[in-house]
Amino acid sequence: MTALVIEGLEKVYTDAYSGEEVVAIGDVSFTVEQGEFVSVLGPSGCGKTTVLNAVAGFVDPTGGEVRVDGHEVRGPGPDRGVVFQSHALFPWKTVLGNVTFGLRVQGIRRREREERGREFLELVGLDGFERRYPHELSGGMQQRLGVARVLTNEPAVMLMDEPFASIDAQTRRRLQEDLTRIFEKRRPTVFFVTHDIDEAVFLSDRIVVLSHRPSSVQEIVPVDLPRPRTWRAAVDAPAFRDTVARINDLLRVDEDPEAGEPEPAGGGAGA
Amino acid sequence: MAVRTPRTRRPVPVHRRVWARLTRSPAFRTLGPFVPVVALWWILAESGLFPPAFFVGPDVVAAEFVEMVRKGVLPGYLSDSLERLVYGVGFGLLIGLPMGFLTAMSLRVRRALWPILLFFQAIADIAWLPIVIVWFGFSLTAVTFVIVYTIMFPLMLSVVSGVEQVPRELVRAARSLGAGRTRVFFEVVVPGALPSIATGIRTGLGYGWRALVAAEIIVGTSGIGFMMFDARRVGDVSQVFLGMIVLGVLWYMLDALILAPFEKATVERWGMVRSLEEGDR
Repeated sequence: MTALVIEGLEKVYTDAYSGEEVVAIGDVSFTVEQGEFVSVLGPSGCGKTTVLNAVAGFVDPTGGEVRVDGHEVRGPGPDRGVVFQSHALFPWKTVLGNVTFGLRVQGIRRREREERGREFLELVGLDGFERRYPHELSGGMQQRLGVARVLTNEPAVMLMDEPFASIDAQTRRRLQEDLTRIFEKRRPTVFFVTHDIDEAVFLSDRIVVLSHRPSSVQEIVPVDLPRPRTWRAAVDAPAFRDTVARINDLLRVDEDPEAGEPEPAGGGAGA
Repeated sequence: MAVRTPRTRRPVPVHRRVWARLTRSPAFRTLGPFVPVVALWWILAESGLFPPAFFVGPDVVAAEFVEMVRKGVLPGYLSDSLERLVYGVGFGLLIGLPMGFLTAMSLRVRRALWPILLFFQAIADIAWLPIVIVWFGFSLTAVTFVIVYTIMFPLMLSVVSGVEQVPRELVRAARSLGAGRTRVFFEVVVPGALPSIATGIRTGLGYGWRALVAAEIIVGTSGIGFMMFDARRVGDVSQVFLGMIVLGVLWYMLDALILAPFEKATVERWGMVRSLEEGDR
């Protein structure tokens, strides 16, 4: 079954000062199947994050539509949980309070929601930290909590916006392996935005490669790597290296001759 | 910088250990900084540089304190002042916080209210006293009015800037976890704005405290401000000194017993602000 359908998505911004119109997304269409891990890759400033924000319901598209489980997206909702690059944890809530927030909104009784919260904390390796506050955790642990907070809510699709971009390289590798392990175990539907080609290939079932602004889908690349995946196995696998090389070519071929403007903070066109 | 290893470390001398323990005790940390101030004051008074009618030493003020407490004047004035402060601050918070959130959350309210806010902020609290006395006479209402007025503006401004500082992604995270607007307000916007609001309450209280003393001097029939002004009239400098010290001590206690513990239990515990005394670590 198809979990997420993006059809002819278009987003045009009007610059607040000059009044100029900027086309962030020209025409983007693709689908994500249930239990599938799909990444969106593209040159910096190509509007990857804008696509995610449209799916999350944070921005209204100016054209096309987004459907989750057959329903058209109108504003944010619990069927589309978001893992942010900045973690976006609630500093005033404990680890357990953060992870059970969504269940509390649903009105689930305390005992049951804490039980389910603990289950997902254990899944991401945060058991024993229930009573801590987010600022007492390391960056890697904070992002594990961000993932657990979304998974506990059991959304139709988990949206991840460059979740590991601000984490050091060593920890990032571990988090990627842990995410893969969690994905293989529970099979959530994941929509993942990144500018890191290796990361996209390692994690994904399919990769949507976007073109320069106004962005459209350049190509959808399937990743033919067996699961369960580990970095050790992936770096030696010809399929991994071939896919990385292919995407590298795709992004390079399309390289804008006048590119070279610095990437805005956080990557992507932002909101 | 020298690298210390356990082998080369020599035992710490006794006097240094005693000193270290002393400086870490809460009483020392509270009172210690005042020791040189009081000493300097005493030396100045004893030096005879100023005539005793203008400048008295700590010993005279202490004697005056004992005398005023014994006669029951100081406790009476003190409770009058505190009662006014509690009323003023209570109503100030009750009005200022909701107004602040309303201004912060609604663009329409803000557009309508902002020019009015700026206009009234310019009229100093004391400038209201003449008309307030005409309206309410020399009463608790008059003093309360002035304190509420003084507290409201810094409070409202701090709420508005606090709400603006709440990261957009926190609101988005809550919304995509299913929270509606009301829940987002109470569970994300309010706690997110708390560091700024705490600062606003601190500033507002400070202003309110000063306004109270000023109002007591003008309106006063009792209270610490009245005591000081009345003492000046009869030329009793020691009571003026005593009043000033009482004001400082009270503010310090208000901070140490209410404001600081509140911040320690909330914004500092959540890692949103660093404690002032903690410094950079």
